[in-house]
Amino acid sequence: MLSYILNLLPSMLEGLKMTISVFILTLALSLPFGILIALGRLSGNKLISSIFQLYIWVMRGTPLMLQLVFIFFGLPVVGITFDRFDSALLAFVLNYGAYMGEIFRAGIQSIEKGQYEAAKVLGFGPTKAFIRIILPQVIKRVIPPITNEVISLVKDTSLVYIVGLGELLRAGKIASNRDASLVPLAVAAGFYLILTALMTEGFKRYEKKYAYFE
Amino acid sequence: MNKKINRILITFTMIITILAAFTGCSAKEPAAANTKSTGFAKLQEQGYVVVGLDDTFVPMGFRDAKGEIVGFDVDLAKEVFKRTGLEVKFQPIDWSMKESELNSGNIDMIWNGYTITAERKEKVAFSEPYIASRQVIVTLADSAINAKADLAGKTVATQSASSSLDAINTEPGLAASFEGGEPVLFATNNEALMDMEAGRTDAVVADEIMIRYYITERGQEKYKILDEDFGADEYGIGIRKEDTELLEKVNKTLDEMKADGSSAAISEKWFGENIIK
Repeated sequence: MLSYILNLLPSMLEGLKMTISVFILTLALSLPFGILIALGRLSGNKLISSIFQLYIWVMRGTPLMLQLVFIFFGLPVVGITFDRFDSALLAFVLNYGAYMGEIFRAGIQSIEKGQYEAAKVLGFGPTKAFIRIILPQVIKRVIPPITNEVISLVKDTSLVYIVGLGELLRAGKIASNRDASLVPLAVAAGFYLILTALMTEGFKRYEKKYAYFE
Repeated sequence: MNKKINRILITFTMIITILAAFTGCSAKEPAAANTKSTGFAKLQEQGYVVVGLDDTFVPMGFRDAKGEIVGFDVDLAKEVFKRTGLEVKFQPIDWSMKESELNSGNIDMIWNGYTITAERKEKVAFSEPYIASRQVIVTLADSAINAKADLAGKTVATQSASSSLDAINTEPGLAASFEGGEPVLFATNNEALMDMEAGRTDAVVADEIMIRYYITERGQEKYKILDEDFGADEYGIGIRKEDTELLEKVNKTLDEMKADGSSAAISEKWFGENIIK
């Protein structure tokens, strides 16, 4: 049994590599993108605000799987072609950006008005005040809901099989089909659990570090 | 306050654009599998052809423990293109997207136990059939089902979107007599067999070549294959309709390989017998 699992590891690790690259790149891009969406959604300009509302509605209102198919197979019809990995990454960032955006919006709106006023009195311009004073407090407050999304993201990466990318769950399914055994799927489950455990622990530490004043 | 948010918004848009442009460049992989070519001359110029396959289809095309793509169809394709003077690249695809992948030019052919059906013929051009198989009925060894008529009132499972399902649907009267009025659909044949072993399914309809692999893997003594079947089927290679020269080359090479016994040798390696048509 142990030797069978060891035998599975090379191909599973190959899949894990894809899972982790989709995960890390999506996370790194969707967080700043989410802040942008939150700001757009909060804009005083009615037009900008409704464009972002429409965007959030479309991205959260349709399945991520459908968005992947649309970007990879649909866009080439109108002459825009991305390769497999780029299509997957684009779909994930656009989708997760919308969710992150709403989390950041809640965070930004939870900051008391006095903070802006205080920043102004201290001579901070609006952009500087937002980045140096508001955003750090927002990040502190949104860590728990962001952790939720991040854990969802770890598991959603399995959807990239639809554009032909081999990831962890796919590697498990291949081995499961080949060997007529459920063990490879259990191994894949183990990897996902390790990944989410690492993420949970990482964000917990981050949360603690930012838990000043409490 | 609103004006402020707009100014912040502009700053962030700029940051994001720079970030996106940066990762966009670094994440670019060589777009090797993205051939837009039609026409054999173009393939020759680029020096390779891209075969699309579902890498879970054992034993036609799948990954071994080392992660290498292997299989009967894979060996056959390698030999065909060795003779044609082209390198062959294998691109894993999702099976439900195979015709989209082909027609958008991401792959040049579908070669993976691809059964010839009238519906698929409308979308792709098929090579001459190279393997003949049939849609068999599998039950547990001690099952009371011994003929097609015994399936009435029983739970029958098959693979979703498969040629087996199409074959069952050619006999709507029989399908309607199944428990639930239709077959139960699974993503893979392996899952259908597992469900049968768990006692929830009474019979599985599947392509004989595909299902024999699983029967051997899971223990031959546990199952029986009925004499009656849901008809014959044939495998072909799917090529874009406009790629006529490629199709001719593939057909011609397959004929040569049949004549000189090299496809028989590949068949012996994977199935222990010659099943080349």
